[in-house]
Amino acid sequence: MIGLACAGLLAGTLRAALPDGAIVIANGSVPIASISAGALKDIYTGKTTYWQDGQSVVIAVSADTTDSSLKRVSGMDTSYFRTFWQRMVFSGRGHLPKKTDDAASLVDLVASTTGAIALVPASASLKGVKVLEVR
Amino acid sequence: MMRLALPLLLAELAVITTGRLAAVELSMPDSKLPAIDVHGFLSQGLLDSSDYNYLGDSSHGSYKFTEAGLNASFNPFPRTRIAAQEFTYDVGPAGNYDVVLDYALVEYTFNDHLGIRAGRIRRPEGLYNDIQDVDLARTWVLLPQGMYNARWRDFYVSEDGAEIFGTFSLNQAGSLSYELYDGLQHPKLDGGLALQKANLPPFSKLTWINSPNLGGGQLWWNTPLEGLKAGLALNYDEGLTFINAAGRQSKGSPITQHYSLEYLRDSWTFQAEYLRFKINYLNTGGGLPASTKLIEPDTWYVSAAYRFNRWFEAGGYYTTYCADVNNRHGKGLQFPSDANQADTALSLRFDVTPWWIFKVEGHYIKGTAQLLDNAANPVRGNNGWSMLAVKTTLSF
Repeated sequence: MIGLACAGLLAGTLRAALPDGAIVIANGSVPIASISAGALKDIYTGKTTYWQDGQSVVIAVSADTTDSSLKRVSGMDTSYFRTFWQRMVFSGRGHLPKKTDDAASLVDLVASTTGAIALVPASASLKGVKVLEVR
Repeated sequence: MMRLALPLLLAELAVITTGRLAAVELSMPDSKLPAIDVHGFLSQGLLDSSDYNYLGDSSHGSYKFTEAGLNASFNPFPRTRIAAQEFTYDVGPAGNYDVVLDYALVEYTFNDHLGIRAGRIRRPEGLYNDIQDVDLARTWVLLPQGMYNARWRDFYVSEDGAEIFGTFSLNQAGSLSYELYDGLQHPKLDGGLALQKANLPPFSKLTWINSPNLGGGQLWWNTPLEGLKAGLALNYDEGLTFINAAGRQSKGSPITQHYSLEYLRDSWTFQAEYLRFKINYLNTGGGLPASTKLIEPDTWYVSAAYRFNRWFEAGGYYTTYCADVNNRHGKGLQFPSDANQADTALSLRFDVTPWWIFKVEGHYIKGTAQLLDNAANPVRGNNGWSMLAVKTTLSF
């Protein structure tokens, strides 16, 4: 049942928001099942730093995160995105996104990190995370 | 100074040659205590100029161009963050590797529209003021110095106080982000501001500077055009006061206006900023009659940078600085070239790894308004001169 629900969300996400094949996943503690493109951008640009229940938003990225999906979500390419968050950290305004080497470890990180959110390829094997529908 | 410079350089060389840096997260196994994120950076540069000594003894090649920072942050409670950073730097005669508490703050975010930070905070102004020592965050080795003076960090970057911040949606018109702050600055007698004042007639070596109150704000309009934002910063520095060795006191309350534009498109970054600063000093004491001195500098730059791929970026900027808009041609100055300084820079940035960058930058400069060290530059003229800047930075 849960798998079917996830599959449905996954399919909807693919069609609706990230046509380059990326989907949005989150830790099970994240108190939402869907997110607007605007709210997603606010997260990736540091304007939203907490979920509605007060827990920190933890952005996770991997080397597999494509420029096009990150660009679509944040308006920044990979290099500028990294620079943007370094500016946030070293001016005392935020936490650096957590980084992994590949999509599989990214899924593991999101599954084990409270408040985590990430973009992963639709082909990634998902376990222990939920897929957020992008409205 | 060399006591600290040598270990910093050796540490950098050791990391470059032997391994890699990784982000650090401190946490206790099986503990409910929040994890602590730790990050840091270390930069070492070289400045080599054809004429004059600029930002140090650059005519002989100056390695006194170092920055290092180490910070930690964690979320102890919902919506609450604590962060602190230690910082040290050396740029020619300023900095001197003094280790300072750069920021140490508690932040509470009510929602996207309102949050508050208190403690020692980094002061936002324009595109770079709060991150002007973060080499990672820009294409250039040297930011346009009329606007982001590398020797003014003790005075201009941090203050003890509080700020509120947030973002409001403007629907189809984009969004508006704001930061409003107030606090006390702590300029130092061996800092860049003191060095500048001591360099200007009728000042001389300073023996005392107060900790003035600085209040202001930064607004950013994130326009509906993807990648374009426009900023306005205003601040008022109440009762900045100096006393020099002759007992002469100078007191004024500077006002700063700062306008910014940034446009990101594909792999391009375009930026332009204009800043105008105005202070009317009242000079008293020292056995001389009271006098006033209006100083009103302005500065602007335009820049463009292109990211070719993940490891290479190139860009350039043109900037001018005028020491006093009421005397743009330097009338009455011993050296009229002290009225202005224009700088054309071309930069190459190599991201060798995600944690190691290397930059090389050429400058062609006309004017001497920002040398700020007349003793080291006794004769100045309006001839063009060049400077090579090289810098490497490690971060984790």
